[in-house]
Amino acid sequence: MGEFWAGLAEAVRLIVSGDREVREIALRTVYVSGAATALAMLAGVPAGYALARSRFPGRMLVLGAVNTGMGMPPVVVGLVVWLLLVRSGPLGGLELIYTKEAMVIAQFLIATPLVIGFTTAAVQALPPELPELLQMLGAGRLRRLWLLAREARLGLLAAVMAGFGGVVSEVGASMAVGGNLQGQTRVLTTAIVTETSRGNTERALALGIILLAMAFAVNLVLTRVQQRAR
Amino acid sequence: MRWRSRARLAARGVLGAAFALALIAAGCGGGGEAAGGTAKIGGSMILATTTSTQDSGLLDVLVPLFETQTGVQVKVIAVGSGAALEMARKGDADAVLSHSPAAEQELVERGDLVEGRLVMHNDFVLVGPTGDPARVRGAGSIEEAMRRIAASGGFVSRGDNSGTHATELALWKAAGIDPAGVPRREETGQGMGATLNIADQRRAYTLTDRATYLALRDRLSLAVVFEGAAPLLNIYHVYVVNPEKHRGVNAAQARAWAEFLVAPETQRVIGKFGKDRFGEPLFVPDAGKSVEDLGR
Amino acid sequence: MEVCFWEVEARKQGRMVLEVPELALGRRATTAVLGPNGAGKTTLLRLAAGLERPARGEVLLDGEPAERAGPRRAAFAFQRAVFLRGTVRENLDLALRLRGADAAERRRRIARAAELCGVGQLLERDALQLSGGEAQRVNLARALALEADLVLLDEPLSGLDGPSRESLLADLPEMLAASRATVVLVTHDRDEALLLAQELVLLLGGRVEAQGPAGQVFRRPPTLAAAAFLGYTVVGRRAIRPGALALGGGTPVIRFTVERVVDLGTQLAAEGRAEGRVVRAAVPPGAAPPAPGDEAAASAPPDAVLTYGDDGRLAE
Repeated sequence: MGEFWAGLAEAVRLIVSGDREVREIALRTVYVSGAATALAMLAGVPAGYALARSRFPGRMLVLGAVNTGMGMPPVVVGLVVWLLLVRSGPLGGLELIYTKEAMVIAQFLIATPLVIGFTTAAVQALPPELPELLQMLGAGRLRRLWLLAREARLGLLAAVMAGFGGVVSEVGASMAVGGNLQGQTRVLTTAIVTETSRGNTERALALGIILLAMAFAVNLVLTRVQQRAR
Repeated sequence: MRWRSRARLAARGVLGAAFALALIAAGCGGGGEAAGGTAKIGGSMILATTTSTQDSGLLDVLVPLFETQTGVQVKVIAVGSGAALEMARKGDADAVLSHSPAAEQELVERGDLVEGRLVMHNDFVLVGPTGDPARVRGAGSIEEAMRRIAASGGFVSRGDNSGTHATELALWKAAGIDPAGVPRREETGQGMGATLNIADQRRAYTLTDRATYLALRDRLSLAVVFEGAAPLLNIYHVYVVNPEKHRGVNAAQARAWAEFLVAPETQRVIGKFGKDRFGEPLFVPDAGKSVEDLGR
Repeated sequence: MEVCFWEVEARKQGRMVLEVPELALGRRATTAVLGPNGAGKTTLLRLAAGLERPARGEVLLDGEPAERAGPRRAAFAFQRAVFLRGTVRENLDLALRLRGADAAERRRRIARAAELCGVGQLLERDALQLSGGEAQRVNLARALALEADLVLLDEPLSGLDGPSRESLLADLPEMLAASRATVVLVTHDRDEALLLAQELVLLLGGRVEAQGPAGQVFRRPPTLAAAAFLGYTVVGRRAIRPGALALGGGTPVIRFTVERVVDLGTQLAAEGRAEGRVVRAAVPPGAAPPAPGDEAAASAPPDAVLTYGDDGRLAE
């Protein structure tokens, strides 16, 4: 129990003193997970919309795949991406292994099914007549998409939070494709693993608290936007 | 059919994201510049090594020295030595620094590892709970020590194909004991630090490299119960992954690293490492010697 | 605005749901498209709006293809009133903004439509919290505020309770007259059609069974099937106008066995079956009602009895 307090004290000390290494790791965490979530929204929202509204052969299979993807263990995704990017793998020539960009790719693959799943649910919750209503009022395709997104914003913000939350907290994929290189690809979760494996429990706890605080802050902002939209 | 236009929309979204990804991929570049000067060669390399080597902190000192000297960016991938050697076998790394000579020899024979050099050694020690319930202290030989642990103590193994794990298995074999048959033996599958923590919690014995033990000594209530026997030597070699056999190996950078490790100045740094923190150095530099010379 | 259907065929999942070789819905009148559920009425309306394209043929609005002209020139009120988040005023405002009206124009039109439809007091209410009747009125107000040349209403009185329905039924003709647009409304209720529209198109099984001025179609349905849907009592090849049968009187037109006597509030009626069809004949005031099991004979004024030929078409 004393270790928790020691960890909390260490966390406060690291934040207040502006510890450079911790700051660098935290910023990198936000960059990697933020970029992955943004890309996941770019790819996932249109896909989720199409999936919700269209009827096409095989739709059930795709929905099933998305739902499976939502629960996919991140470490499995990491392993697959690692096998693809490693030098002996098919994409080894790209020299992406053990870089931040590889981590963004892996986290993008983890977040996208989440975004698609939440978007599909949000769009399905809209009145089915809504797109045609907007069309008959004279809204062009882009205007319609914008208005529909605004109507579904509660669900879409949930999609962002789910995507970001899913990737900022994962460690298996980040470790495998990033390599946890100090100063290059170390993020909060992989740093926690390192400190734990070295037996530095206090510092590990401190990093964990910082990660929680960061995730909480991000979600707080998003939740306020979401609830203000009600 | 309306689904066609929706499918088009979805396809556009995916292509847009793929395009963005491609931009990111293109934006990532290689390592440093190929600056002037004979020592500076720039570029980058992947060094596959073991978690205990990483955790000892030695690389945190050596790698920056090397990077400053040569301008090479080193990516240190620390995994179990089984995984490190597997990386070498597939050509996913450029150089290997590990301490599992038997397994390394296999890869040398297969041609995956070349230009091997002896770098240093440290030793393993058996540690156990205060009070030494299995009475390991005072055993006449390492085999006797293992027998006493099997009889009346708990044992925590790394169980991760690391050099430490390999040494542990060799010790059981020498003592004529089947490790699977030891009643209170557990495998953690994790690194040395985590394994020591678990042994501490369980009040059990474990085999550890001296360096990691010294680094964590203050946090643990484990003490050294046996040390010094020849089988407990932990011998480190550095290799270059064979560029003739594997495409894409950064051979120049890997060779520079190997030469750096055995250079006299580096060997001096290795010999002093840990002294100020623990009162004793963690490693014994051995460049240029032969393996038979080692031992106390 | 004139809506023209030429050689139109519409299908759903391979099945033909609408087949209209030629139909013109006219200028500045209200036409009711009447028919049972599944007859193709909504499909016809959606084709006129340009929301769907026919499998064959074309739908033209003043000569322009409906698919292009519909969203621009027509106002469509869906069967279920659907709104965006926000107040009623914000919803109406958005609709007008999408049509390109400036702020002053929007204010004017919202005020006018609100007054016309009796929803002035609802303007600041949350659009998603309206009652059924209120929502339908706002739905209509939105369609009328667009001041389009063509107004399409899909079952405007569906889902309303008695008082809301009566009140809207009374107000709707005035609302529609004031708009001076061509109005096409879809309904399955004969009384609604007769009360709200001047022209009637009767759809049965995806085909136009009858078309013409509403009263005329009702008084002389061109086919037996049309007569049956309009509520006529069909016996053999004759159809008797609803409400025209009374017990006794002159030459009996129909005989049946009384099953029960119903109190309709305004009068009593004897109900039974003839040739498998339900027959209801009024009990003349003052006369003694028959008892169940009695044989009854009912008659009707000659102009209320229509005879049809073998082909189902009106004989005279």
